[in-house]
Amino acid sequence: MYKYAARRLLLAIPVLLLSSLIVFGLMRVMPGDALTALMGESGNIGERELQKIRHDLRLDLPYYQQYGLWLWQLVSLHPGESIFTGEPITTSLGKAIPVTLELTALAMALGLVIAVPIGVLSATRQDTASDYVGRVVAVSGLSLPDFWLGTLVITFAAIWFHWIPAIGYVSFWESPLRNLQQFLLPAAVLGFRLSAATMRMTRSTVLEVLREDYVRTAWAKGLEGRIVVYKHALKNALIPVVTIVGGQLGVLLAGTVVVETIFALPGMGRLTVEAILFRDYPVVQTNVMLVAATLVTLNLLVDLTYAWLDPRIRYQ
Amino acid sequence: MALVNTRPAVLEADAAVELGRLRALWTTIRRKPLGAVSAALIAALVLTAILADQLAPYDPLAARPEIRLAAPSWEHPFGTDDIGRDVLSRVVHGSRISLWVGLLAVGIGTVAGMLIGLLCGYCEGRTDLVVQRLMDGIQAIPGLVLALAVVSVLRPSTTNAMLAIALVIIPGNSRIVRGAVLSAKQNRYVEAAQAIGCRHPRIILRHILPNVTAPILVIASIWLGNAILIEATLSFLGVGTQPPTPSWGLMLSSTGRAFMEQAPWLALFPGLAISLAVLGFNLFGDTLRDAWDPKLRRN
Amino acid sequence: MLDDRLGPLAFPLDRRQFLARAGRTGLAAAALVAARRGRASAESGAPYPEWIPASPKPPKRGGVLTRASAWDPPVIDPRLTQSVGLHQFAALVGSRLVRYAFPDETSSPTDLGLKGDLAESWQSTPDARVWTFKLRQGVKWQNVPPLNGREFVAADVKYCFEAYAKEGAQSFTFQEIEGFETPDKYTVRIHLKTPNVLFPQNVAEPIAVLFSREVLEEDGDLKKRMIGTGPYLLKEHTRKVRVVLARNPDYWDKGRPYVDQYVILSTPDAATRMAAFRTGQSDFIWLASPSEVETVRRTNGDAVVQSYHNSLTPFGVAVAQDRPPFNDVRVRRAVSMAIDRQKQHDTVFEGHGIIGWGVPFMYYTDKQPTLAQLGPWWQYRPAEAKKLLAEAGHPNGFETTLFYYEYFPQMSSQVQLVQQDLKRNLNIDVKITKLDYTTYYGRYAESKWDGMAWGFQSGHAVGLDERTYQYMHSKSTKNFFRVNDPVIDELTSKLRQTPDRAEQRALTKKIVDREFDQVLRMWMPYDNGFLVFQPHVRNGAAGALRRTDGYGASAIARMWLDK
Repeated sequence: MYKYAARRLLLAIPVLLLSSLIVFGLMRVMPGDALTALMGESGNIGERELQKIRHDLRLDLPYYQQYGLWLWQLVSLHPGESIFTGEPITTSLGKAIPVTLELTALAMALGLVIAVPIGVLSATRQDTASDYVGRVVAVSGLSLPDFWLGTLVITFAAIWFHWIPAIGYVSFWESPLRNLQQFLLPAAVLGFRLSAATMRMTRSTVLEVLREDYVRTAWAKGLEGRIVVYKHALKNALIPVVTIVGGQLGVLLAGTVVVETIFALPGMGRLTVEAILFRDYPVVQTNVMLVAATLVTLNLLVDLTYAWLDPRIRYQ
Repeated sequence: MALVNTRPAVLEADAAVELGRLRALWTTIRRKPLGAVSAALIAALVLTAILADQLAPYDPLAARPEIRLAAPSWEHPFGTDDIGRDVLSRVVHGSRISLWVGLLAVGIGTVAGMLIGLLCGYCEGRTDLVVQRLMDGIQAIPGLVLALAVVSVLRPSTTNAMLAIALVIIPGNSRIVRGAVLSAKQNRYVEAAQAIGCRHPRIILRHILPNVTAPILVIASIWLGNAILIEATLSFLGVGTQPPTPSWGLMLSSTGRAFMEQAPWLALFPGLAISLAVLGFNLFGDTLRDAWDPKLRRN
Repeated sequence: MLDDRLGPLAFPLDRRQFLARAGRTGLAAAALVAARRGRASAESGAPYPEWIPASPKPPKRGGVLTRASAWDPPVIDPRLTQSVGLHQFAALVGSRLVRYAFPDETSSPTDLGLKGDLAESWQSTPDARVWTFKLRQGVKWQNVPPLNGREFVAADVKYCFEAYAKEGAQSFTFQEIEGFETPDKYTVRIHLKTPNVLFPQNVAEPIAVLFSREVLEEDGDLKKRMIGTGPYLLKEHTRKVRVVLARNPDYWDKGRPYVDQYVILSTPDAATRMAAFRTGQSDFIWLASPSEVETVRRTNGDAVVQSYHNSLTPFGVAVAQDRPPFNDVRVRRAVSMAIDRQKQHDTVFEGHGIIGWGVPFMYYTDKQPTLAQLGPWWQYRPAEAKKLLAEAGHPNGFETTLFYYEYFPQMSSQVQLVQQDLKRNLNIDVKITKLDYTTYYGRYAESKWDGMAWGFQSGHAVGLDERTYQYMHSKSTKNFFRVNDPVIDELTSKLRQTPDRAEQRALTKKIVDREFDQVLRMWMPYDNGFLVFQPHVRNGAAGALRRTDGYGASAIARMWLDK
């Protein structure tokens, strides 16, 4: 078991290196320049001035040197500063991560609370009306673009209820009530999508498990058997669900940008995407590597869990 | 002698499996209402895309600004947009774009992913190790971020957006195919085929591909819907389809949102179209899985 | 003056027929009811005023003014950026030597008079090469370390302007300064390299805020702290969340500002800003079109609306006129005549816009120009355009490209209409590319692009010198439209040396006429927009040159809340 774990861990390193190369390369190849964008419509982008700023930011070094420098910064946990704002990246990450974490956690919680019971219901009552309704609602959650749903919610909350959450993020520690109020709507919008995917997965895995022979036998045995079945079936069915939720995390992290923009939350999604649009290399590279490292770690944990549950996998 | 004689039997058995699969699908569609609905939706989408020129009452690019933002009426059942183009015609032609969007992204992503997965699963060893790490490396980057970066590097356009989305799809697909190949290799038929000296391509085609196509098609059907949504989000961020192309995503994310209160029909109809298309693809994926589920398990 | 075809009255009547027929379709019922109601209220109401005079009531002190803003400041160092994200509040924390009139000091939105801010008076030598500013006495820097409320003196001006000239986004403006003299604490004498009668206008730009030596020397830059002599202290700056300004108790203009705090909330999404205004979280908002104003008034009937008037448009079609085919004036004229500007103005901007020109009209004429006054090449004459293009050697048109960034939704509408006009009338095939901001700006500012672009010149600068010499002289780095005309060079240089007002006006008119005649910049219609205030806001009116929510923010020192 330990050998397997060690091997997987070792393999994770080249994966992260590759990701870092891809991100670095992509950012450098993109047209446009953060400094030019910063100067704005001033027209005063004298070459001399630009050269000086570029030199100060070490952007005139050859690419491989910049890459090496950046890797060293990452490893020593001093990722440098944003080109655009000059703010240390650790500071901006420190502020953005809690926002996205809270948003994601709330969205997942809301999503799971809705999705799992409906998924189980749908599976156990397959092909009945409740199944159909459940599935259509779920799929509509997957079919509506986030930005449309978000805009609808905020516009009609203002018109019908004369209320929208207070704009201007406050952290949970500062004011728990106001914070939760601010996160309710965006978490609901995100959660709706998540619940759709999770519901379908729950339904399909429960269906599969219910068809297993051991389950059928337990059914035949009667009431007591049914309880046993529920316990076993659900347990086995939920493992893939956990995987899916882990996989959704990657989707969620990317998907938060839309919701964060509409509901004015200063999270990771908005930080990363705005940095891409402004070619703020250090911010993009660091943020993406952070997310990549998180995803790789999560995958690793899931793989290890599988290996622990199913010994066959270890020996492949 | 007996071993040689099993070859034609093996081939026939495979053909029978294929036909049986299609028949199973048709039965499922007929029996399950949601299957029928989804098949109908997809058929409608494809027909609209093919017959767009005939179905659209106006030129989707012809602007008549003097009737801009007109509410739905008999002349313009879906209303007109911000420069007076007929929304119905644009939605109809948009089906072409969406189909193109979905098919290109998913097509490339699926085929490339399959090829890579087949390569890895079949060859194993060092090739597998290196290529899989590359796939993991790509997959570790959040999909939207990757797509956004790739589109910004290439010129923003529908085609480039699709290439970017295909890139996002490839790693996941390759992993699934690789897994299927690995498990198929343990299958007796394959061992037998190798023992009697079947050449690699034949083994792949006859024994491995059939096991792989089922999960791939299911995932592909769901990605068709996702591709449309990602294109819409890229347009929302300003790097997707170029005007004046009548893509549903562009219509929804730009004019649909900008004029949401003054002219809700600008968002309503493209939004409905997207929802129905994605609904259709997703439900069809479910149907495929329901139809082929026993087959999947048995293999 | 106001275009007399305003708002819903500008629509052709058959729109009513459409609405009547749509009533039969249940699907559109909701939209129909909303649209009808909107129509009715707009028709019964008078057009919105273009000037909201200062309130006659005595101002109340106190309260918090809030605004949901689209812009977040990238940096707070005014040397590094001219973006509105910073300058929506920089001129409230810092001051300038001179400024333009505030809304309660004037009675018209087109008043261009200069007033003293930190300078009490100013004058120049007859040759306009040496400018002497007499500073206000007793002005203190904000009482925050390291300045701790010390007095503002002439040496501060010298230090600041020299720093601006050395590097950064403002260097161009200050590089014409040859040297300084500070004979005493309150006198600054500025020597220019070449004569410039319009120098005070350059210095009055809201972006030229004065910063302190101490902060720059201690921090090495101005990114971490912002300390000035202005009416508000920068109390909080949380990126992507909010900016909080608190009243400066030591401000030299005793009694002002009135409002205790000004809070700017970073709200990138337009629908959310609208929702914030509707629910009272935002005290004023700028809207582009009459129909948007109508939708807000449906839920907020008591909102106060000022019909804003732009004195120029920042946007137009820029062509690569240093190379074929656009280096031929006949091609430029043909393209200009093939674009139906009036229709764009009437439809996309619902009649509430300007046809488009590049120099604020007040500098050379009293009334806003009408389309007819802009010359032959600005009129929509497709047949003549086709003839002219054929004469220039392109009887079958040609292919070209146009790239742009969608600054606002109406721009996309305009770009597509231009594409259609050129295709239909001249068989010019324009391939559109919509880019993100950074790619667009980088490519545009580099000035190496081919074909066409939806170009701009700064939206905030109002100085005559900047708008003529700095944007049109062939040697200027701000000449994005790549104007290269010896007549323009000569006229704009001469303008800087013409002290007499009447002569300035005549000269400016000549410059503008030449620009239109040679179609050196193809200006496009632009909105006028509306400023919408909550009913308790007073003295919020915006002058024609600047909006109170943007570069005109210094006027907020005069605003008060009647609550």
